[in-house]
Amino acid sequence: MANWFLRGVRQGVVTTAYPRRADLSTADLPVPPTFASGRINSEKAARLVAVCPSSALAVEAADLVLDVGRCTGCQRCLRVAGEDGRSSAHFEWATRDRHALLVHFPIGESS
Amino acid sequence: MIENEEVDRRRDAPPALRSSSVAETAAELHRRSVRLFGRSLHIRTIDTGSCGACESELRLLSSPRYDFHRLGLFFAPAPRHADCLMVTGPGTLAMDHALMTTYEAMPDPKIVVAVGACPMGGVFGRDQYTHGDLSTQLPVDVYIPGCPPSPLALLQGLLLALDRSQARMPGRTEPAR
Amino acid sequence: MTGVLIGLLVAAVVLWAGAALTAILGRSIPGVRMASVLSCTGGGAALVAGVAELATRAQAQIALSSGVAGSVTLVLTPLAAVFLMALGLVAMALGANFPRSHEPGTATTTYLVSYHLALLASLFVLLAGTVTVFLVAWESMTLTSYLLALRHHRDRGVAGGAFLFIALGEVGFAMIIAAFGILALRTGSLDFAVMHARAAALGGGWGDAVFLLILLGFAFKAGLIPLHLALPAADPVAPPDGAAFLSAIVTKLAVYGICLVSFRLLPAGPVWWGLTAMSLGVVSAVLGVLYSLMERDWKRFLAFSTIENLGVILIALGGSLTFMESAQPALAALLLIAALYHVLNHSTYKALLFLQAGVVEVATGLRDMDRLGGLMKRMPKTALIALVGTLGIAALPPLNGFVSEWLVFQGLFQGFRIHSHLVAVLIVVAAASLALTGGLAVNAFARMFGIPFLGMPRSAGAAGANEHNRPVAGGALLATACIVLALGAPLVLTALDRAAAATTGVNILSRLVVPGLTVIPAHTDFSSFSPTYLAVCLLGMLAVPLLLARLGRRRSSDRTAPVWAGGIYRFRPRMQYTATTHANPVRVTFDELYRPHFEITRASDNPAGQSGPVHYGFKVAPLFERYLYQPLTRLVEGIARRAQPIQSGDVNLYLLYVLGAILVVYVVAVR
Repeated sequence: MANWFLRGVRQGVVTTAYPRRADLSTADLPVPPTFASGRINSEKAARLVAVCPSSALAVEAADLVLDVGRCTGCQRCLRVAGEDGRSSAHFEWATRDRHALLVHFPIGESS
Repeated sequence: MIENEEVDRRRDAPPALRSSSVAETAAELHRRSVRLFGRSLHIRTIDTGSCGACESELRLLSSPRYDFHRLGLFFAPAPRHADCLMVTGPGTLAMDHALMTTYEAMPDPKIVVAVGACPMGGVFGRDQYTHGDLSTQLPVDVYIPGCPPSPLALLQGLLLALDRSQARMPGRTEPAR
Repeated sequence: MTGVLIGLLVAAVVLWAGAALTAILGRSIPGVRMASVLSCTGGGAALVAGVAELATRAQAQIALSSGVAGSVTLVLTPLAAVFLMALGLVAMALGANFPRSHEPGTATTTYLVSYHLALLASLFVLLAGTVTVFLVAWESMTLTSYLLALRHHRDRGVAGGAFLFIALGEVGFAMIIAAFGILALRTGSLDFAVMHARAAALGGGWGDAVFLLILLGFAFKAGLIPLHLALPAADPVAPPDGAAFLSAIVTKLAVYGICLVSFRLLPAGPVWWGLTAMSLGVVSAVLGVLYSLMERDWKRFLAFSTIENLGVILIALGGSLTFMESAQPALAALLLIAALYHVLNHSTYKALLFLQAGVVEVATGLRDMDRLGGLMKRMPKTALIALVGTLGIAALPPLNGFVSEWLVFQGLFQGFRIHSHLVAVLIVVAAASLALTGGLAVNAFARMFGIPFLGMPRSAGAAGANEHNRPVAGGALLATACIVLALGAPLVLTALDRAAAATTGVNILSRLVVPGLTVIPAHTDFSSFSPTYLAVCLLGMLAVPLLLARLGRRRSSDRTAPVWAGGIYRFRPRMQYTATTHANPVRVTFDELYRPHFEITRASDNPAGQSGPVHYGFKVAPLFERYLYQPLTRLVEGIARRAQPIQSGDVNLYLLYVLGAILVVYVVAVR
């Protein structure tokens, strides 16, 4: 009997059920961050903009704008943001609208 | 095609000037052309200078774990057979000719998918060797962010291109002021 | 009717002689034009004579006064009429091309004179009614063909090629003389009709000896392997219409000789005659097409293709003899008809292809297929005519090659009707070899048409080609003939049946062409096929989708984009397939047969990419030259060297020879 057949019978179906059901392995994927709205002040925002190697963070009017399209998930900004930022834990960012990838976080005054 | 003209205008204008009616027309045209594909898509990938991580993830689409054939998606051996062009890489100038000839060799209707952070201006951006933003070269229909996007993200993006899935952005996007 | 026939034949003779004279007298353009008109008309007369003979079954015979070596009798038999049709058609086509393919001058005059003498000699070979006429005409044909091949005698390789042609022709001629000598001695007459009546005198070993001598003797001229070297040597060096004449007519005259002796002058013989002829045909067909695939020189390729087709003709003839000697006369007649059909077809499309190859050679200066390309856009008329010829010779429906090969296959497939299992198995092997040949031939001719005509030009010569002032009439005439021979298959078969009936005594017309334009292979329970309806069907199948596409197409929704070439910057001609690479799969498969010799040299020893041009040389091992011809040549030279002391130059020794000879004659005469 072919090896793969025996292996398949032993292991069962390995194909993911996505998109019908969620795939559990997605919890560990490197994904873009999200920041606490209103908790980041301008000085921290400037530091966040400087630390991003992919120019994904920018300050526009009174918002910290994260361009999810440019984000590589390197998490340097999370180290700077500390408790004001965390992983978005979301990997399904595909979109037809480029501007929908620009996430705005209002800059607050408190530090 | 009128759809491309709409997209051109959208590309050049800053976000604030973009009107919802134009976006709706573009979406409707896109839906009409996508209906021609049925439920299946033939994909041609092109690497305009990427590091290869996106290619590794793309390759895994045909592995038993993700198996995109069960969803009706296939890689095409040549652009002549393709409905969809998946572009990775920051658009190096050296690949300009190849990218354009590939795009022109694909019969209409076709869709363009930007894969990864590079074609959206990330990592390299625009410099003396790269274009950075793919939408300055081709009309892009779907964006799949990630560095690299996992095969599951790629599947979601491709199903989105076929109108078999909704965009699943978390929370809401606050409008620009 | 007889009078008309004789008149037509005399007209042909006079016109061709006139053409030769005109060539001598008028060394200018009007002279060449006049020769062309006369030659063409003469060809037409010969063609009509052949058709008339088959249509009316008249017996045209001229007997002249008895000379020293028997009377001179000229007879037009139905069998000869078939070959006469081929001769006339090819002569017409070649004649039509004279004005544009020959520059007036001394060389042209010599050439045209020898060409027309060759035509006359061929005519007399076909009309010969006695051994003397046949042999004299045959030798004249060989000599004048030799002069034909020598047209460009100052070019390299021409003299050698022509010499090989005549040397091998003479060896064959010696065997033919021997065979006819035996026939004449045993039957006591030089007249073919008398020989036919007294065929029974050739019992036992004499008949076998005659058959083998005839088969081998004519094989030299017909180009059957392993006696084939004359053809690839002479065809490339002769001018295009000379090569067309050599391939299309001279080889067929050899076939006529084999038919004449085996079917008319010899009695019914053992089965191994037919099997020997068939195996010779199989070897020639398979090896011919295999060697042709390795050729880059266009005309040498066509020469090997001629060898392959002669092999097919001989398979059919051998099969015919086998069936005749196995009590299956209907199938014997069928295969003879198939062989004669293939003779007509091959003359037509081979002459056509040689003419087109010649046009290309003059327009580009190249014969090497690996250096040509893109000629379809630059020489559209030539390409179209060559396409018709290629489709014909590759035996693709609905053209004429398909009809004749179908008949041969159908005849061979019915080998199961023979009771001897061994013979039936050998016939199946022959059919399988024919199938292999057919497949390889399609490959070979796809290569022959595709590489020079399609794609991009691979050299400056090809890029600068144009059709200005190139001959077209001859090729167009032959292309039309190809189509007529295909669509008019029922008519052609009716005519050929008359020839077969006269030769074998079996008339199968009612079991060959049935109402409804259908052809059946001599038995109603086997298969059937209608060339006319097939042609209509194929054209319909082509036309209907085109029509639907035209009607269903929305306006201006088409976009033209360049050919997809992998996105590379510039598509260069050197990136295309060459003729050598196209045939590479066959080369690899049959490597044991070819045993090629490779030579790869670099301009310098610098590392890869900087070493300068790389030269790749590839040569097929010349098996027959190495293992057959060279040993024989060395043997003959060795014997000659050993016998040299006889020619010492010493007068006293010569006087001794004279004395010895007188003594011997005296002793013998007194006895």
